[in-house]
Amino acid sequence: MSRIIEEVYVWRLPVRLYHWINALCIVLLLASGFFIANPYLSEPYGEATWFHQMSWFRYLHFATAFVFIANFLFRMYWALFGGDKYARFGGFRPWSPKWWGKPFREQISSYLFLRRDEPNYIGHNPVAALAHFAFIFCGSLFMIATGLAMYGENNPGGFTDTWFGWMIPLFGSSYNLHIVHHSAAWIFPFYVIVHLYAVFRHDIVDRTSVTSSIITGYKHEVEEEPSLD
Amino acid sequence: MDNKQTYADVFRSSGLSRRDFLKFCSFTSVSLGLAPSVLPKIIHAMETKPRTPVIWLHGLECTCCTESFIRSSHPAMGDIVFNMISLDYDDTLSAAAGHQLEEVRRQVMRDYKGQYILACEGNAPVKDDGVYCLVAGDSYKNVLLETAKDAAAVIAWGACASFGCVQNADPNPTGAVPISELVTDKPLVNVPGCPPIAEVMTGVITHFHTFGKLPDLDRMKRPKAFYGTRIHDKCYRRAFYDAGMFVRDFDDESTRKGWCLYKMGCKGPTTYNACSKTEWNEGVSFPIGSGHPCFGCAAPGYWDDGPFYTRLAEVSFLGTDSNADKIGAVAVGAAAAGAAAHAAVTAVKKRKAGSDNEK
Repeated sequence: MSRIIEEVYVWRLPVRLYHWINALCIVLLLASGFFIANPYLSEPYGEATWFHQMSWFRYLHFATAFVFIANFLFRMYWALFGGDKYARFGGFRPWSPKWWGKPFREQISSYLFLRRDEPNYIGHNPVAALAHFAFIFCGSLFMIATGLAMYGENNPGGFTDTWFGWMIPLFGSSYNLHIVHHSAAWIFPFYVIVHLYAVFRHDIVDRTSVTSSIITGYKHEVEEEPSLD
Repeated sequence: MDNKQTYADVFRSSGLSRRDFLKFCSFTSVSLGLAPSVLPKIIHAMETKPRTPVIWLHGLECTCCTESFIRSSHPAMGDIVFNMISLDYDDTLSAAAGHQLEEVRRQVMRDYKGQYILACEGNAPVKDDGVYCLVAGDSYKNVLLETAKDAAAVIAWGACASFGCVQNADPNPTGAVPISELVTDKPLVNVPGCPPIAEVMTGVITHFHTFGKLPDLDRMKRPKAFYGTRIHDKCYRRAFYDAGMFVRDFDDESTRKGWCLYKMGCKGPTTYNACSKTEWNEGVSFPIGSGHPCFGCAAPGYWDDGPFYTRLAEVSFLGTDSNADKIGAVAVGAAAAGAAAHAAVTAVKKRKAGSDNEK
């Protein structure tokens, strides 16, 4: 048996909202994005002008993308000005050799089964912070920038074309830009699998109720009671 | 040939009426996307300005740009077009050859220092000192640099000169580079396409002749008037794209119905050119109009963008031919397998730890 000895309010409402809006957007963006790349539905029957199958998926992709961007910007605001100690960039300092020091190495060796005890963090552990930075922060930024560059192609000389269109020559051509946007989208399903596995595993091994914490906001610290039998 | 001749003189001497001349000026201003108020300016320039001398060089190329150029319909007919610019040097079209012709080129460079247009067809190989393309006993690279030195502006005709085309496709054995990488200190316009549309080519020259400068260029130095939008944006099959009605196979009812060629690998959505509005051969048709997907000849590096008839490029990955989706699916599968293996080890370790504690 074990009992809860402490309850910590880790994920405040803005963080939880961001998480779930982001999750929903990623699912919708992946579904509509893969459809745009390969429209697999059979064609509607009748006059072309009656239907908007492809344009509807494109619309869904663009509309969701703008929600995704707004949500991302909101999260950046919260990280920088929210004053929330579990939501800010705070301890994440990958440019400093110190950050890669003991806590990071301890966490890695724990994941590699090189040590027995599991380091426990109330917020993100250093490896999780690095993963979030690489996949969610950099990944989202990359998808947003390349996506806006392609969106700008619909209106040459317009706002998005002016501000993001430079990515087309950067990648050589519009076609290359489409390919990198499409290829990079795969980091999200990849990340989701690793993320879910890590969450479930930590919940089972450390019993910190990390899975439900993204709904309730609370994490728990448990203490093993000595066995009586 | 009298080099001080104007365009209007050429029309007159060819027995064409003033009406024909004005028609040509209107066509030109329309094809350049200019306001009607600019028309008098074009007419004035055509009547008073001496023809612009053009030196037309041929490097690593297939001459399809010239083939296209001589089929221009508006402005005017092929033979007239040749009379309109003062095409003083063109080694594939000149009657003269050898030293005689090379002397003409040097003569023009002297007489019209800083005034002539250098039109480049084909690009220059730079590997091994440019030995893979020799013109008149010298490397094309040297001829190009020598001629570009005193040019008023440089026109890079076609995909070769603009972006490299097939010559610099992977693995680029001759080290071919687009003109813009060699000539960096002159106003330069890229007119990509394999070949470019004839009317686009003559339009660019006419713009320079009229205004004394190159037309408005986009990020890739292409004239905005012709390369501002994608083929897809003005494609007459766009309605089928939006509706989701796609050609599934060339041997299929959907092909006969003329649906969208997106799934057949059409590169219209990523290719900037005027094909879908100007069309080819006096506006007869263009590839998509003839039922063939655009393969993006005006886009940079299109030879390396995988097969022409697939939508997504095949990406060479660890020696296999694979596409982005296959690589992505393998990565996700590997993540899942890794997670499962990690979970198994965790379970085993936990059980072991549990039994250790019981001891």
